[in-house]
Order: sequence, then structure tokens, then C-alpha cells
Amino acid sequence: MSPESVLRALLDQQLLPPEQAALIRTDEAQRPFSLHHELRLLLYVGIVLLSGGLGVLIYQHLDDIGHGVVVAAIALLMLLSLGYAARHRQPFSWGEAAKAGFLPDYALLLGCLLFVTLETYLQVQYGLFGTRYGLATLLPALVFLPLAYRFDHRGVLAMGITALAAWVGVTIQPLSAFTTNDFWHSRLSTAAMLLGLGLMLAGLLSERYGRKAHFAFTYISLGSNLLLIAATVTLLDFTPGYGSFPPVLLVPLILLVCAALVWYARRTHSYLLLLMGVGYAYMAVTYTLVRFIAATDSGEAGFTLLLLYVPLSAAGVVWLFLNIKKILRLR
Amino acid sequence: MSFYAYHPDWPHHEAIQEQATRWQRRGLLTAGQLAAAQARFPLDFYRPHLFLRIGLFLFTTLGALAGAGFVGMMFQFNFLGTLIVSLIIGAVVLEMAIRGKRLYHSGADNALLYLELLGLVVLIFYFTYETLSSYPSPDPTPGTARLTVALLLTQAVLLLATLRYADRLVAVAAYLNGLLLLGNVLLLLPHGTLLLPFALCAASAAAYLWFTRQLQRPERLYYHRCLGLLRGLALGTAYLAVNYWAVREGNMALMAPEYHSYAFVAPQIPLAWLFCLLTATIPLFYLVQGLRRPDRTWLWLGLLTAAFSVFTLRYYRSLLPAETAATLAGAFFVALAVWATRYLHSARHGLTSAPDDAEDPQLDLESLVVAQTAHSAPAAATAGVQFGGGHSGGGGATGAY
Repeated sequence: MSPESVLRALLDQQLLPPEQAALIRTDEAQRPFSLHHELRLLLYVGIVLLSGGLGVLIYQHLDDIGHGVVVAAIALLMLLSLGYAARHRQPFSWGEAAKAGFLPDYALLLGCLLFVTLETYLQVQYGLFGTRYGLATLLPALVFLPLAYRFDHRGVLAMGITALAAWVGVTIQPLSAFTTNDFWHSRLSTAAMLLGLGLMLAGLLSERYGRKAHFAFTYISLGSNLLLIAATVTLLDFTPGYGSFPPVLLVPLILLVCAALVWYARRTHSYLLLLMGVGYAYMAVTYTLVRFIAATDSGEAGFTLLLLYVPLSAAGVVWLFLNIKKILRLR
Repeated sequence: MSFYAYHPDWPHHEAIQEQATRWQRRGLLTAGQLAAAQARFPLDFYRPHLFLRIGLFLFTTLGALAGAGFVGMMFQFNFLGTLIVSLIIGAVVLEMAIRGKRLYHSGADNALLYLELLGLVVLIFYFTYETLSSYPSPDPTPGTARLTVALLLTQAVLLLATLRYADRLVAVAAYLNGLLLLGNVLLLLPHGTLLLPFALCAASAAAYLWFTRQLQRPERLYYHRCLGLLRGLALGTAYLAVNYWAVREGNMALMAPEYHSYAFVAPQIPLAWLFCLLTATIPLFYLVQGLRRPDRTWLWLGLLTAAFSVFTLRYYRSLLPAETAATLAGAFFVALAVWATRYLHSARHGLTSAPDDAEDPQLDLESLVVAQTAHSAPAAATAGVQFGGGHSGGGGATGAY
């Protein structure tokens, strides 16, 4: 629909005075054509090509350059980014701080990413931490979490939480990932569930007491995902390890967390959390039904029940989505 | 019963609201005026957030396929019976869901429509290849009369579906089906292979002109989203039809199958210099046109075809080692982007590097709004115009889902 016909429609309904319509017409005729997105894309592609090409070139000529120079360059770049972010910092507050523009945000993110790069480089090349992997994973968490609170940055918060989860995993089950190739051993999944519960609690508390209340979404979405994934993997494990939760406990736990998610999604009008709650709950219910049919050994009747369950449950989920505005209490 | 599946007011209201929102963000309308326009032209259809649309699409597909399986069980998995009954039920459900729930490209109706069309295409190919002739032939070969019949039938189905539902993916499928049909007819003729690139290019160009003309007609508003996409697609196929790589490899694919066994490299094609020239110049032409008109479709197609031309060049000749080429090109792109952003910071030649909905602080709305007649607009909480209040968040620091 051309701007002119929109204008005419608005004028016909007397939704704007004719003088303003004339002004809009002039603006439409004279407004320059924006190349904003195209130039950003060009810049992005250029940076990707440049960093990729330079990375390969440095790798090929590493013997001529030497590790010390590379480490120094990364460290210098990291300090520059963090320094730039620190120079444009806003005064600290427990609420959502005003933004000084998008560049300091990106500089902080780049600095944090370079910190991980530097740490990895030092560990791989010089074995800085030796076999103390716990320390190597705890260090980013200890750096990122305070930075996230000081600079009011949710991306850095998510990186800090991820580092924390890695630290918990490495501490609980040292080297199991390398030796047995069993990532989701029973103790590990129990620890992941506890950490997820703690993160969700942290989110709720930060909202309740107004301490960076806008971080609550990051805490709750990451925490609930960790908890639900760990619980689901344990649930679907064919050979459950010694001491892992039995399905009798896991299914109610998943359903309880899903109910909490749906409750929270209704409060904050969040689509993503509602989808997660519904999706994991659907899987838990389906699992229970299949286990029930398999356990009762009902043969033909069980097969028919399953055949009916799939289309009907899909229809139920579709109905849920179609009425989501009422469920989320949106207008 | 209207020919349009969706109420024609929906695209109309949607277009008005989009444009009014853009003007409001630019500071040309007050928040109150936007609210009044939204109240007068309401969006009373159902199209949720993108996440939900994806969820709806997946669950509708799952439910429909399971339902078809259920139908199959009732028909003892007889192929034709199952397919036809499922298609009839699916069509009824699709129409009733759109009517009753006021769906408008909401994921659920898309999924049902695609499944329906997929079933119809399977049915058509089944009929032309299994029942229509005395001897069944296993796979469709290009350049046969039977494939032409099948493509004609699918063309009719896709065209009707596009006209009724105005779905963008179906429109793309209909357009590509048309090109396929044209190519297939040409291959039936003598010297068809030689004519093929030029005929497809000319057909794409003609389609582009027709789409552009239709886009300017207000009574085609129902199809605007389709036509906008098809316009870009027509430019793309016009380039691809004469792209050196596409012509050379396509020529190889169309050769007699026994040739493939001993040829590792596609053989050189006649008029190679012409195709090379076109591959090199068409992207430049698109880019120059995109900046001169200025037109975003031409600009984007220029960028895409330029990338494809670079791929074509590097496929046959490698001028520099990849990492050196990437470094040099990256440095050039960064320098070009930085220079152009600074050069166009204040608008020149009708171009600017500022975002499109950037507010223009020269306009003084307050004086105009005083003259405005009072409305019974819903009381919007934001009062007056907020100049320079733009919110920018980057680096994943903000944003809610």
C-alpha cells in the first residue's frame, strides 16, 4: 500500500489534519533512502572475513611471530575494550541503568570474549592452570558476574552463569567427560538440577527484592532450561546410574517446574517461558503414558490409545496456542 | 463465499497500521493519532509472535500427519483412498479454522495449506505416472511430454492456491513451477538446450515487469506481500538463468546419462564469453540501479548476485589463496563501510546511512496537533511526542522474549 493511499485513508477518517498530511507528503518525497542495514551488513561481513583470514594467516606464520606477541596483542585488545566500556560506564544502581549507546555494550562483550580467548590460549600453550580445571572454569564466572552487575549487562550475566555451570560440572565429576564420555552421569545431573533450582530462585529473589529485577528473566530462563534438560535426560536414560532420581520423583518435579514456568510466564507475559513450560510438560506426560502402556502390557488397546493420543494431544497444543492471549492475559 | 480465503480488510488494516507506526516512530504522527488509527483500523485477526507461529506450524503438522495415519488405518492403508479422504478432511478443516478462528498466516493455516498442496502434487504425479499410461515409467525425465502434463496440472493447482490464500511460499512455488514448465517445453523443441538460458532470462524479466506493475495497483493489495517477494525472485532467476556456473553445470546435468560416467568436469559451453560477461556485469547493473532508483530489492539482489558471481569465479579459477583473499576483501569491505557511513552521515545524493525510522527533529508537530480536532481515541499512556527518546540496546544487553 503506497504511503499516499494510507494518507488518504487516514484523511478520510479525519484522523489527522490536512496540514500534517501535507507535511508527511513532503517528508515522504524528500526523505533520503536509508542504507543503514546494508552498510551494517557490509561491515559485519568485512569483519568476519578479516578476522577469519587474519586468524589463518597468523596461524600459518606463528613460528615467525611467536606466542608472546599474540598473547600480548590479545591482552592489549581486551584491556582496550574493557577500558572503553569502563570510561563510558553509568553510575551503579540496583535498577536498570540508562544506556550510554550501543558501543560500550559491545566493547564490554568483546572484552569478555577476549578474556576467554586469552585464558584458553594461556592454558593450551603454557598450561597455566595445569590440571586444576575447577579454577580455570571458576575464574571467568568470578570475573563476569561482578562485571554484569556493575555494567548492567545481561549478555555478560549469561556468560557468567554458563561459566558457573561449567565449574559445577567440572567440580562434581572431574574429567568424566574425557574418561567415560558420559556427560550426564547421575551425580552430574543431580548437581545440574540443584544449580538450575538455585538459579531460578536467584531470579525470583532478585525480582522480589528489587535487586536488578530485570536480570530475573535471564536467571529463570537459563536455570529452568538447565534443570529441565537434566531432569529429562535422566528420565529418558535407559541405564539409570546408581543414585539417580527414579521417574516417580522426576515426572512430578518436571511438571511442578513447568507449572511454575507457566505461572511466571502469565505474570510477565513471556511467550518463551510459556513455550518451554508447555513443551517439557508435554514430553513428560507423553513419557508417562508410553511407560504406562508398556507396563500394563495392554497390546492392541494400548496401541489404539497411543494412535488417538498423538493427533488429539497435538490438537490440544494447537488449541492452547490459539487461545494464548487469554491464557497470558494479554489484551 | 468470497474468492479470497482471508478477509480483504486484514491486509488493508495491517498496511495502514505498519505505515502509521513508521510515521509515528519518525515523529510525524503523535502517539494519540497512532492509537486512534489503530482503533479505527483494528487488526482483528490472529497472528501471534514468531515463536508461537513456529510452534503452531510444528504441532499442526504433527497432528495432521497423525490424523492422516488414523484415516489410513480406517482404509487399510489403501494409498488413493487414504490420500483423497485426508485431503478432503484437511481442506474442510483449513477453511473452517480460517473462518472460525480468524487465522491469518498464523502458522497453523500455513502448515495445513502446505500439506494439502503437497498431497495434491503427489496425487497429480501418481496419476500421470501410474495410471495415465499403459506402461509405468519410474522417474520423471526433463524434456518429456508426460512431465509437461504433470507440471501443467501442478501449475494450475499452485496458481489457484496462490490466488486464494496469497501465501508467499506457495507463490514462490507457483513461479518456479512456471519456469520449470517453460524449460520443459523448450527441451521438447530442437535446439531447446541452446535457447534455454535466454528464454528463462527473458521470461524472468517479463515476469519482473508484470509483478512490478501489479504491485502499483491498489486493488492488488491482497497480494502485496507475495508480489514484493516475487519481484526479487524474478530478478534472481533472470541472473541465474545466464550465470556461467549454472549454465555450464546445468548443461552437464541435461546431457545423456551415459556421459556422466567418464566426465569429471563439466565440458565447456558454446558462447562461454557471453555468459562470463553477463555473470560479471549483471550484479554491477543491479547494484547501480539499486542505488540510482533507489530500490532495496535491486540493491539486495545486487549484493546476493555479486556474492554468487564471486563463487562462480572461484569455482573455476582461484586467483589468490583463500586466506589472503579473505583478509584483503575483509579489509576492503570494512574500509568501504566505514567510509560510506561517514560520507553519508548527512544525506547526499538522496542516500543516508541513518536508520530509516530515525526521528527527524526538524519537524515541529506540536503546533499542528493544537489544530487537530478532538477524538475519542483510547487514552494512550505516552503523552505528546518524545523527540530523541529512542531506545537502543546492543550486545545482547537488552531485549525481552
